[in-house]
Amino acid sequence: MVPREMDAQRALELLHMTVFSQSVSPCGKYLAAGNNYGEIAIFSLSAALSSEAKEESKKPVVSFTAHDGPVYAMVSTERQLLSSGNGELRAWNWSDIVKKGCKEAWSRRPPYRSSLEVPEINSLQLNPKDNSILLAGGDCAVHAMDLESGTFTHEFRGHSDYVHCLALRDQSQECLSGSEDGTVRMWDLRTGAQVHLIEVHKYEECSRPQHGKWIRCLATDCDWMVCGGGPALTLWHLRSVTPTTVFPLPHCQQHVMFYQDLILSAGHSPAINHLQISGEVRAQIPCTPRSVHSLCVNEHSPEHKVLTAAGSSHKVDVFTNFSYRAFSLCFA
Amino acid sequence: MSSDSSKKRKPKVIRTDGAPQESKRSRADPDQDVKYYSEEAEVELRDPSKDYELYKQTCQELQRLMAEIQDLKSKGSKDSAVAIEERRIQSCMHFMTLKKLNRLAHIRLKKGRDQTHEAKQKVDAYHLQLQNLLYEVMHLQKEITKCLEFKSKHEEIDLVSVDEFYKEAPPEISKPDVTLNEPHQQTLARLDWELEQRKRLAEKYKECLANKEKILKEIEVKKEYLSSLQPRLNSIMQASLPVQEYLFMPFDQAHKQYETARHLPPPLYVLFVQANAYGQACDKKLAVAIEGSVEEAKALYKPPEDSQDDESDSDAEEEQTTKRRRPTLGVQLDDKRKEMLKRHPLSVTIDLKCKDDSVLHLIFYYLMNLNVMTVKTKVTTATEMATPISAGDLLSPGSLLNCLYPGDHGKRTPNPANQFQFDKVGILTLSDYVTDLGHPYVWVQKLGGLHFPKDQPQHTVTADNSLSASHMEMTMKLLRMRLQSRLALHKQFASLEHGIVPVSSECQHLFPSKVVSRLVKWAALPYEDYLELSYTKDVVEAGLAEDTHLYYTALVERGTAKLQAAVVLNPGYSSMPPIFNLCLNWKGEKTNSNDDNIRAMESEVNVCYKELCGPKPGYQLLTNQLQRLCVVLDVYLETESHDTSVEGPKEFPQEKMCLRLVRGPNRMKPFKYNHPQGFFSHR
Repeated sequence: MVPREMDAQRALELLHMTVFSQSVSPCGKYLAAGNNYGEIAIFSLSAALSSEAKEESKKPVVSFTAHDGPVYAMVSTERQLLSSGNGELRAWNWSDIVKKGCKEAWSRRPPYRSSLEVPEINSLQLNPKDNSILLAGGDCAVHAMDLESGTFTHEFRGHSDYVHCLALRDQSQECLSGSEDGTVRMWDLRTGAQVHLIEVHKYEECSRPQHGKWIRCLATDCDWMVCGGGPALTLWHLRSVTPTTVFPLPHCQQHVMFYQDLILSAGHSPAINHLQISGEVRAQIPCTPRSVHSLCVNEHSPEHKVLTAAGSSHKVDVFTNFSYRAFSLCFA
Repeated sequence: MSSDSSKKRKPKVIRTDGAPQESKRSRADPDQDVKYYSEEAEVELRDPSKDYELYKQTCQELQRLMAEIQDLKSKGSKDSAVAIEERRIQSCMHFMTLKKLNRLAHIRLKKGRDQTHEAKQKVDAYHLQLQNLLYEVMHLQKEITKCLEFKSKHEEIDLVSVDEFYKEAPPEISKPDVTLNEPHQQTLARLDWELEQRKRLAEKYKECLANKEKILKEIEVKKEYLSSLQPRLNSIMQASLPVQEYLFMPFDQAHKQYETARHLPPPLYVLFVQANAYGQACDKKLAVAIEGSVEEAKALYKPPEDSQDDESDSDAEEEQTTKRRRPTLGVQLDDKRKEMLKRHPLSVTIDLKCKDDSVLHLIFYYLMNLNVMTVKTKVTTATEMATPISAGDLLSPGSLLNCLYPGDHGKRTPNPANQFQFDKVGILTLSDYVTDLGHPYVWVQKLGGLHFPKDQPQHTVTADNSLSASHMEMTMKLLRMRLQSRLALHKQFASLEHGIVPVSSECQHLFPSKVVSRLVKWAALPYEDYLELSYTKDVVEAGLAEDTHLYYTALVERGTAKLQAAVVLNPGYSSMPPIFNLCLNWKGEKTNSNDDNIRAMESEVNVCYKELCGPKPGYQLLTNQLQRLCVVLDVYLETESHDTSVEGPKEFPQEKMCLRLVRGPNRMKPFKYNHPQGFFSHR
C-alpha cells in the first residue's frame, strides 16, 4: 500500500477510535490502554509525568494487536496483564511488555453454550483471596477462573441479557454483576448461588425509561453500592437493599468508582463527575472524550498517582491533580 | 691652586741658589769649553730644589742689603756713599742671580710641557690602533654571519629523493663513488640530474606542441569536408520528401519537432524528451507536441543584440513617454510584474487518452524569469455528458489536478527564490495569477527536472533528466487515474442528484436486498459552510478537511428520521476515501458527540471503506459508501430500543435479522452485514 494511503487510513482510525479499557502496571510506571481495533498501547507514565516530557513521551512506548475485536476489559496481576475481547481472555507478561516484546503468555476461553456467535467479555474482576479471576459478558453468565490452573471453576447463571460489569465485596466473598437486563445480582463465590436480585429499573426514583433499563457500571464499598447506566446513578444500601441517594446527573453513566470519600463517575458527557455520598455534585471536570468508558487511578506508585480517563477518542486524559486535565496521552 | 703652584715652583728656584751654584758652574764650565754653552743642558745638571734654596737666600740677601742701604741713606753720612755703592753692586749681583734662576725656571717649564705632550701623543696613537682593531673584528664577525646565512638557490628546487636519484640517474652523473660520502658533491650531482631531466621534458613539450598543431590542421581539413557535405545532404533530403509522404513515414515530421525542441528552454526540453520517451516505450496513448512560435523563441536566444535593441528601444520609449507624461508608479510596477511572469513562447502539450476515449490535455509552460513550470488542463470527453450541478468543480481546470501528490495545491510557487522576486514587484502570492498562468504544481517541476530544495532559497536549479524520468511513469499513471476517477464521479453525481444510488452488480453482495432509507438530496457544499457545521469539528481538527478538498452534503431519509451527511471528498479519490460526518434528526439531534452509535455508523463508512471499494480501481467507493449509509440507518432505526413509557406501536418495526441488538460496553448496534446468510452482526 502507498504510505499516504496508510496515513489516511490511520488518521481515520484515530478519528473513530474508542478506548474501552485501561490498566496500570504493578510497578505503577506504565499504563496499558486497549481500543476498539484490538490494539493495546503501553504508555510510560513516568516519562509523560517527568519534568522534561516531550510530545513524543505522550505517545505509546509500544503497541500491539491483542485481539481481533475490541479490547473491552483489562486487569493487571502481580506479573501479568490480562485482557479480554471477543470470547477470549489473554495474558501478557509485564516483564516482556516493558522490554517491548509482546508475546501472548496464554489464552483461555470460557465454556460457552452457544456456537452461533462468539460472546464478548465485558468485564474482568480479580479475586486476590483465592487467586482467581471473574469474567462476564455476552453469554449472560459470570465465569470464575482459577489463575493457577487455568480451569473454570464456577459459572453464575441467571441474567437474561449480557453482563456489563462486575464488582467484588471484599469481606463477604460475594460478587455483584450488572447487566443489560436491568438487574444487579449478587453471587456467593463459594457456593455459586445467587444471594440477591435488585431490579433497579423498577425503583421509581432511579428509573429512566427513555434511556433504557441497562446497568452499565457499578462499584461497591462493602455495605454500599453505586450503580448506573440507563437508570440514574444511585447509591444503594446493600443490607437493606434500598436506594439511598439518586445523583442528579442527566446523562447515562458508564464508569463509577469509590475514591476516598468521593464517588467518581463518567459517562455520556465529556466530563468527570465528583460526587458526594450525600448526593451533591461537587465538581464536573471537563475531559476530551465525548463519552467516557473507563476511569483509572494509579494506586501502585505514589509519585505517579494520577487519574486517567479514556473513551470515545484516541486520547487518554491524565489528571495529576484530580481537579483539572493536565495533558493527554495519544495513540499514534 | 695658584698659591699651591707658586709654592711648588718657588722652592725649585730657591734650591738652585746657594752653595752648589759654584760647583755647578765649575762642572758646566768644562762642557762649555768643549762644545758650547747651553743653558738647556745646564738645567739637566742642576737640582731644582737647590735652585729654590738659592733663590730664597738671594732674596734674603737682597732684603738685607736694601735695609742697610735705607739705614745708610737715612743717616746721611759722607762715607755712607761708598758703602751704599758697595752694597748696590752687591745687590746688582743678586739681581743677576735672580734673573738666571728665572730663565732656568722657564726652561724647565717648557721641558715639562714638551714631555707631557709627547706622552699624550703616544697614548692617542695607541688608542687609534685599538679602535682600528675593534672595527676589524666587527667586520670579520659580520662577514662570518653573512657566510653562515648564505642560501643557495638550489634549495628551492624540488629534487627527486636521494634513493630515486641513485636508482635512475646514470653513473656519469650520480658518480656514486664520490658523492656517496660527500653531501656537497651529492647535491651538485643531483642538481645536474635535475637539469638533465628538465631539458628532456622541455624537448617532449615541444614535440607535443608540434603534434597538436598537426592534429588541428587535420581537423580543419575534415571540417571543411563536412561542411561541404551539408548542402549535398540537404538536396538529397529535399528529393526524398515526396517518397516519405508516399510511404507514410513521418521521419521528417519527427525530425522537425526535434528541431523545434532545440529551441525549448531546458525544463520544457527535459519534459518533452522524457514524455516522448515514456510515450514511445510504455504508453502508446500519450501524445506529445510543441506549440508556440519558434521565431520568438529564436529571438530570445540572441541575447547581445536583443539587449542592445531593448536598451535603445526602452530609451526611445522613455523619451516618448517623457514627452507625453511620465508613467505612474503603478503602471511601471504592472509592467515589471508582466515581465516577471512572462512565459516562454514555446509550450509543450501532452494529450493523455483514456480507454473510453476521453482525453486529458495538459499544456506545460515555462516562466522564464521565475524558473518554474506551470500546467493548464482541459478535458474532452468521448460523449456529451449532462453536467450535474454538484459536479461543477469535478472537471474544472482549476481543481482537476489538485493534490495529485499530497499537499501539492499548485497555488504557491515551488521555487523559494521567487518570493524575493515577488517582494520587489509587489506580488503577494502567485495564486492571484494562477488562472492566467497555469498551476505550478510540484510534480510539474519534477517532470521538467526542476528540483527545489526547501531550505536553500538561492540555490541555482538546473534541469535534470533523471529526476524527470523517475517521476514520469508514476505521474502519468496518477494523471490518468485522476481523470478516470473524476469522470466516474461525474457520472455518479448525475444519478445521485436524482436520488438514485447506483450500485453495480459486482457490489450487490455488500448490501441487503431491501434498503428502505433513501437518498433524497446530493449537493455541493461550500468549504466555509462545512467548517461551520457543528458535527464536522473532529475532522477539521484532525486536519482532514482542507480548502483544496471538495465538499458535499447528502440527506438520507426514512420516515420521520432525517440523516444529514457532510462529505469531504479528497482530491486523491479514490485512493483516499471520502469522509462522512453524520447528524441524525430523529427524537432530537444525534451526532457523534452524543451518540456512540452515530459514531459507529461513521466508522462503518469511513474506516471500513476497504470492503466498499468494489472492482478495482475502486471508482464506486462513494456510491457504495452512500448505500451503506442507508443500510446502517435502517439498522439504527429498527434496533432502537422501544421506549416503554411511550404509548403506541414502534415507528420502525424490526425487519432486519440480527443476532443481538446491542453488544459490548458501548451498546453497539449490529451494523455489519453478512452476505450469504443475510443477517446483521457486530463488527
